[in-house]
Amino acid sequence: MSDKLKQIINKQNAQQNIGIDQLDDIVQLVGFVIGDEEYAVPILSIQEIIKPFSWTRVPQVPKYVMGVFNLRGAVIPLIDLRAKFGIPTKKHSEETRFIVMRHGDDVAGFVIDRLTMAIRIKKENIGPAPDTISGDETMIDGVGKQEDKIITILKVNKLLERDF
Amino acid sequence: MDEFQEILQDFLVESFELLEQLDQNLVELETRPDDLELLNGIFRVAHTVKGASSFLNFDVLTHLTHHMEDVLNKARHGDLSLTPDIMDVVLESIDLMKELLYTIRDTSADAGVDVIACVARLDKVSGGDGNVASPAAVEAPVAPAAVSPKEEAAPEEEIDYDSMDADEIEMEIERLLSARKEEDKAKRAAKIAAGESVPEAPPEPDQAPREEPVEEPAQKAVSAPVVATPPPPPPRREPSEDAATAAAPAKRAAATVEQTIRVDVKRLDHLMNLIGELVLAKNRLIKINVDVEERYEGEEFLEELNQVVSIVSLVTTDLQIAVMKTRMLPVGKVFNKFPRMIRDLSRELKKDIDLEISGEDTELDKSIVEEIGDPLVHIIRNSCDHGIETPAIRKANGKEEKGVINLKAYNEGNQIVIQIDDDGKGLDVEMLKRHSLEKGVITEKEADNMSDKEAYALIFRPGFSTAASVTSVSGRGVGMDVVKTNIEKLNGIIDIESELGKGTSIKLKIPLTLAIIQALLVGVQEEYYAIPLASVLETVRISKEEIYTVEGRSVMRLRNDVLSLVHIGDIFEVERILDANEHAYVVVLGLGTSKLGLIVDTLVGQEEIVIKSMGDYLKGIDGVAGATIRGDGGVTLIVDVVALMEMARTVKTRVLVESSSSSKSSEKTKASDYTVMIVDDSKTDRMIMRKALEPLGVTLVEASDGQEALSMLKSGDHNFDAMLVDIEMPRMDGYSLASEIKKYNKYKNLPLIAVTSRTGKSDRMRGVESGMVEYITKPYSADYLASVVQRNVNFKSEFL
Repeated sequence: MSDKLKQIINKQNAQQNIGIDQLDDIVQLVGFVIGDEEYAVPILSIQEIIKPFSWTRVPQVPKYVMGVFNLRGAVIPLIDLRAKFGIPTKKHSEETRFIVMRHGDDVAGFVIDRLTMAIRIKKENIGPAPDTISGDETMIDGVGKQEDKIITILKVNKLLERDF
Repeated sequence: MDEFQEILQDFLVESFELLEQLDQNLVELETRPDDLELLNGIFRVAHTVKGASSFLNFDVLTHLTHHMEDVLNKARHGDLSLTPDIMDVVLESIDLMKELLYTIRDTSADAGVDVIACVARLDKVSGGDGNVASPAAVEAPVAPAAVSPKEEAAPEEEIDYDSMDADEIEMEIERLLSARKEEDKAKRAAKIAAGESVPEAPPEPDQAPREEPVEEPAQKAVSAPVVATPPPPPPRREPSEDAATAAAPAKRAAATVEQTIRVDVKRLDHLMNLIGELVLAKNRLIKINVDVEERYEGEEFLEELNQVVSIVSLVTTDLQIAVMKTRMLPVGKVFNKFPRMIRDLSRELKKDIDLEISGEDTELDKSIVEEIGDPLVHIIRNSCDHGIETPAIRKANGKEEKGVINLKAYNEGNQIVIQIDDDGKGLDVEMLKRHSLEKGVITEKEADNMSDKEAYALIFRPGFSTAASVTSVSGRGVGMDVVKTNIEKLNGIIDIESELGKGTSIKLKIPLTLAIIQALLVGVQEEYYAIPLASVLETVRISKEEIYTVEGRSVMRLRNDVLSLVHIGDIFEVERILDANEHAYVVVLGLGTSKLGLIVDTLVGQEEIVIKSMGDYLKGIDGVAGATIRGDGGVTLIVDVVALMEMARTVKTRVLVESSSSSKSSEKTKASDYTVMIVDDSKTDRMIMRKALEPLGVTLVEASDGQEALSMLKSGDHNFDAMLVDIEMPRMDGYSLASEIKKYNKYKNLPLIAVTSRTGKSDRMRGVESGMVEYITKPYSADYLASVVQRNVNFKSEFL
């Protein structure tokens, strides 16, 4: 009986190990659309995704900082990625979402046009950012290739960095 | 007992904090060598460390920092440019300062670090010849030993005792004891003079058995001269008491241990945050209760709900106070270090000064107690140096030779007041103005228009100093600047009163706690802001005619004063879409002696708010001190009154955003360029109107109630030329819709046409009052409706 149990446990362990091995090569991302482009950020940097609600304007900040909003008792900045990326802003629609991202202690909400999906992508399919825009200043972490399209992967720490 | 130790601890904690900040500043300074703010910051660190170390008798450290200060002061005034060579010397001196502080932390003395070479270099840089007498090297190890025997470095003592014989040891101990006794006596005398009971140090017991303690430790020292690890002074009290009495305090100690718990401050902070959340929830509950009361008037369950709400709000308030109290510390913790400081200062300045302390039991939030130490040191030093005259002058002026400084703390409403009075020479307004003019702190014009109070406040300007010569006590014009910044950081107010020849009284008014404050909520256009109530003096309602313009800025007459005004919208870049009312409210803000009128559109009321930070991303926005979450879950920004007053000086009044109706660019070229909104809750009615208007070819947009109509209008997707409005609708009726719309400048000329089955005369009157231009009663003919619309939108006949 106990042998059998051991076997089962061993088997389970083996399976888990395989699972972990596979995970190692795969990056999980969440994709979203801003303007005409699809972007993605690592799923673990996302704290939550919420429907738009009211926010408060803050004076003396760049246009892309829309203001602050209340996320269950915490006051969090709200950033319009359309404005930040230089795309003309548009009115919020049914599909507009706030993505709350976290990096260390920095938290902020970002307005996106719509969500696409959770993406699992192999590491080898992620290429570096194009040479012309690479460097420390770029917000682009890399470019993920999928069968029919490419996705720009963004650096969350850069997005959350104050640049004014 | 260990008062010195306590002060030393405070000093070390503070110094290390300052050093941490200093490191950052220095790194920044290398990239921006011209940044005056940074230089000022570094200078202040040197100044503060010097001040504290001088009264703790760390002569080497004082010596070093004094010369650092000289160099930095020159740089600060532009007399010296910070070349890399000079920076090297400055950096070296800061490293030395750190080393000294570490030595002090480990051995309680500042011996063993050689600063002479560095001081010489510093002196050379600041223009001296490099020949600096070094008081430190020889004296320092001795000086602290004599004044504070218990602080002596243990290793030195051991060696001494090894080489001494029993008699010498006895004499040494005798000497140490008497030195300390005198010190204690002086302290106690100071306290007693201040009218304070001295609970902690029972003076009598060790008077009688004087002989005993001397012998006991002596024996110990003799019997174990080699192993003598514990320095002799500590076992002073124990041997003087017999076994029975010795046991008693031990028991007492055990009992008190059980009654107190040491708690990590972080836990208290967390608790405080949770209470903050609770206060917000309470505010929300109260708000909901009011709404419910309005809607279900007279229902029985209301009574019950009311009771629950009031109990919850009562308990929340009590809880908040209880938690706040756990964070409270008596202000005496700060006051304790001053008697010693005054004694040392009076010796140094050759003046006779007495310090009287009262109200040291007054409690303040821990974080505030930590912050006020620094400012108080500077104020008291200032009083000693500039306020109190020398005995000779005092005598000549018919005053007591002994000057008195009175330090007291007391509660006043929601604030704690710390008052520092001296009976010195008082502030001379003319002299203050003259000095400020010479130093370029103010202009001649400012000096002429200055009230006495404003002139007193000059002493807080950076770079201001009335002392003729720079002493080690003061005269660099930096200390009082620290006072102002620190107190304002705490949302506190400084009030100065002075009478020439009689003395000066400085009052620091500080809020009880930092996290939760009372605020006045004001509205401008569609936004709300919270102003800390502590800075609000009064609010007045004025009409537009009462605002005058003088030299391009708005002012008003408030009783006998002229108050300069600024519109909150100009400060916070609020777009003026709503029509400005005939009347406005002015919130009179007062900060110390300066006043400012802040024009707002509406006053919402007083509310208890919890200050929340906006995080790193949005910190440091001018005029915004933080944010709070309101009862309805929305975020409201908190006004930083200090910054706002600064901004008001420079802000330009912007011209009202012109109403856009006249500048509507689109010329009508076809019938469908006209857009008409139909607002009716009945689909049939909307259909009837649509049928009637379709033949005209105009674009029609429908809304099913007032709220929907309003948000469609605000969204700006269409430029409406007219609106057909039903009166009776859910959520928002036609009258309210009309008056809402008419609040906007932009829609002032938008024709609103009421289409209703209400035919009463009073209904018509209400329609007109709310801004409707036409009143069509149902039923109506399609042609009639079309013609009314045509007339109101100026429909060009060629489109027909």
